[in-house]
Amino acid sequence: MNKISAILALSSTALLLVSCGESASPDPVEQIVVADPGEGASAAADTDDVTLADAAGMMEEGRKAFAVCSSCHSVEKGEASSIGPNLYGVVGRKAGSMDDFKYSEAMTGSGLTWDEGTLDTYLANPSAMVPGTTMMAGAVRDEDKRAAIIVYLASESD
Amino acid sequence: MNDMSDTPAVEAKETPAKPERSRAAKWSRRGFIGAGVLAGGALIVGVGIRSGNPVGKLKPLVANGDGEALINAWVKIGADNLVTAIVPHCEMGQGANSTIAQMLADEMDVDWDNVAVMDAPADGNYVSQHTVRTFIGAGTIPDQPGQASFMEPTYDGLFTQVGKLAGAYITGGSSSVRTTGQNGIRVAGAAAREMLVAAAAAEWDVPAGEITTASGTLTHAPSGKSALYAEFASAAAEQELPRAPTTKTIDQFKLMGRPAPRKDIPLKVNGTAVFGIDGGSDLPGLRYAAVKAAPVVGAEVASMDASAAKEMPGVLQILNMGDFVAVVADSYWQAQQALGTIETAYTDSENSDASTDAMFASFTQALDDAGDTGGNDKADYGDATGALKDAAKAVTAEYKVPYLAHAAMEPINCTAWVRDGKCDIWTSTQVPLMARDGAAEGAGISADDVTMHTVFLGGGFGRRLTPEYTNQAARLAKATGYPIKMIWSREEDTAQDFYRPADISRFSGGLDEAGKCISWNNVHCSDDEPGEAPLIEFYDIPNVLVRGAEVHNPLRLGAWRSVAHSQHGFFIESFVDELAHEAGRDPVEFRRELLAKSPRHLAVLEGAAKMANWGSALPEGHGRGIAIARSFNSIVAEVAEVDMTADKPRITKVHCCADAGYVMNPNGFAAQMESGIIYGLTAAMYDEITIKDGRVEQSNFHDYRMMRMEDAPEIAVQIINGAPDNLGGAGEPGLPPAAPALTNAIFAASGKRIRELPVAKHFT
Repeated sequence: MNKISAILALSSTALLLVSCGESASPDPVEQIVVADPGEGASAAADTDDVTLADAAGMMEEGRKAFAVCSSCHSVEKGEASSIGPNLYGVVGRKAGSMDDFKYSEAMTGSGLTWDEGTLDTYLANPSAMVPGTTMMAGAVRDEDKRAAIIVYLASESD
Repeated sequence: MNDMSDTPAVEAKETPAKPERSRAAKWSRRGFIGAGVLAGGALIVGVGIRSGNPVGKLKPLVANGDGEALINAWVKIGADNLVTAIVPHCEMGQGANSTIAQMLADEMDVDWDNVAVMDAPADGNYVSQHTVRTFIGAGTIPDQPGQASFMEPTYDGLFTQVGKLAGAYITGGSSSVRTTGQNGIRVAGAAAREMLVAAAAAEWDVPAGEITTASGTLTHAPSGKSALYAEFASAAAEQELPRAPTTKTIDQFKLMGRPAPRKDIPLKVNGTAVFGIDGGSDLPGLRYAAVKAAPVVGAEVASMDASAAKEMPGVLQILNMGDFVAVVADSYWQAQQALGTIETAYTDSENSDASTDAMFASFTQALDDAGDTGGNDKADYGDATGALKDAAKAVTAEYKVPYLAHAAMEPINCTAWVRDGKCDIWTSTQVPLMARDGAAEGAGISADDVTMHTVFLGGGFGRRLTPEYTNQAARLAKATGYPIKMIWSREEDTAQDFYRPADISRFSGGLDEAGKCISWNNVHCSDDEPGEAPLIEFYDIPNVLVRGAEVHNPLRLGAWRSVAHSQHGFFIESFVDELAHEAGRDPVEFRRELLAKSPRHLAVLEGAAKMANWGSALPEGHGRGIAIARSFNSIVAEVAEVDMTADKPRITKVHCCADAGYVMNPNGFAAQMESGIIYGLTAAMYDEITIKDGRVEQSNFHDYRMMRMEDAPEIAVQIINGAPDNLGGAGEPGLPPAAPALTNAIFAASGKRIRELPVAKHFT
């Protein structure tokens, strides 16, 4: 299965070059080999098979599942919204209410408040619930994963 | 560029001496042809490097087909009589290679249907430092003894890396048609035709003078003999290289000056064109890499936490490369998603606290320090400060422009395969040899062991003049051991650009009693490439002082379409417009008087005004603005029309009149004017790159906008062939007048003077 090995290649040459700021070193400073080509797809199976034994496990699962979302959404308190709005404290929040994000009119006019139920419906198929939303990616088909993400999001709040 | 030396990962270990200037400067056009013909293909391939025709060496590289004979380095003729132009420039949407082939075909008397184009391989035989020197050096463009004075800085500045290149295979500086085409391939084509004639004359035993050529066919009318070029191709290659091949005069042109259909368009329409990002996609075992470099110039990766990424689907390897972090996965999407989960810490850098506000404050300080007379003089004639004291009216203004990203449609990417001491590269680059060197360094092999595969570029605009991304891809391919297609995300492309420099420019000008400008004093911050950009000698102003103040930029800087003309076109033409207003004069009338001694400029100005029906009534809330600029040896005037009746400006129309000496393909030229105008207006309307904590704040097209169809004006282009022996460029010169024409139009319509770009900032 997953063969995880870390190779530290901090050769003196590399250090020298890095310290010169030229970074001409052809070699990696750190190289983590997760799998060889052809062994792929195993990690995905792992993720799907996880049993959600308890809340902590569920939250951890949600954190992992949220990795995909994090390219657009920050959950750091106080961090600026980027491609998507910051989701810190999103559970309990009125939809379309972050000042620093330009929402679609559809979202600001949705009248929604995010709770377990609305988030679950929305994440299952965003544009079905809020037609015109600019959230182009992010539909989470897997029910368990959706629940885990919502638990995780609920934990990221004051 | 002035700060290219900050580039991580691309620095050559040593900086070779700058190319020798003096020798190039002495070459006259006549001397160039003579010397060039000594070398045949070396017309192009490097005058002075070798004598003799290098065909034997080049043939395996470019002419492997059955029965193909290489006539000289830029021309080959197939057994099927197809003539191929081998052009040492890249196709990045500008269509120059097709136009250059058109010039070759005309000189060779070949029909357009019977012509193909190929990019020359990235091989040192095709280029040399002398190529640049030769084509751009003094005197190579006839009747322009002053040419060198402003073209020299173009290549010493815009292509400051020239000295570091193994060779100068460059597409940039709006130079392809007017240099390689005009001074290279036309001569090569004429030589090829003469060699074919000589071969036929020998075989048929008739005087060469009795042989005529047309449609790829040799004919000797007295004897009734005739043959296709292909029949004599091999024999022609054996002929002496003509010492002074005769190129056509304009009255003899059959293809030059005509809108011959571009050769690359069918491929782009039917989807078979291979762009950099498509290259190498069928390699066995190809995997995908997503990368993220340290976001602050000078910072390095201190540590990374890849615990989440390791668990993600499809992930094969996660690498800390020192200056960047990479994830290699089965698909690009998987790699990018996993990359997004890696938490990276970076080392501090002197730029870690940099911000746009602090930077502009430092610019202001530098300008304050320079005062009325300080800084580096760029032009000083008459007595600008003295004349200002005598002026009836003094006018001052300050203008400000932001950093800009290139935002090419095709993001930066490179496919690399390193194995058995060799490396294959597929990438979009304007500098294939430099890109090859970057890959060689990354793979730890010699440049001779790197093969660059030719691809189309999905936009260049000056962004693809750097080799850091071939270096990255080669390092990843070497580390993993399998072929890697590395693609930068749009966010990475936006954050890791080599930016158009921001600038602040201050002017004071003096008007006499009659409202004529008698004094012009300018100081600004950017290093000007080309050096002519801030100069205004075409305006009849007797007392002029132009100066530069030195500043530090916390970002990597690069050449952005039209380079320094992109800032100075806006500065100069905004201030001229303000002077006209202060003088109570019509902007066209005011410029007409100033251009009295520059007839080509004047003709272009009047051409644009006439196109726009300048002076005619416009609806309430609409306005016209005019601007003129010369860049890359072309003169372009534009009239923009805006509608200010809504809450934001809407550009309704741009009239463009251009004199590029002589236009070889009017359709292609007009398309480049349109493209330059749209690119220029996009930036002028919407865009700026800002910095906070040393990092670029913009990330994608939501905060770095492109102009869309609904916002794009209708554009009309008119061409003046004002100097047939003195060609100008096409790719960039449409841009510099666009921004000031727009802001001058906004002023005319609303009385609101825009002195800081982008325009959208003023209408939020």
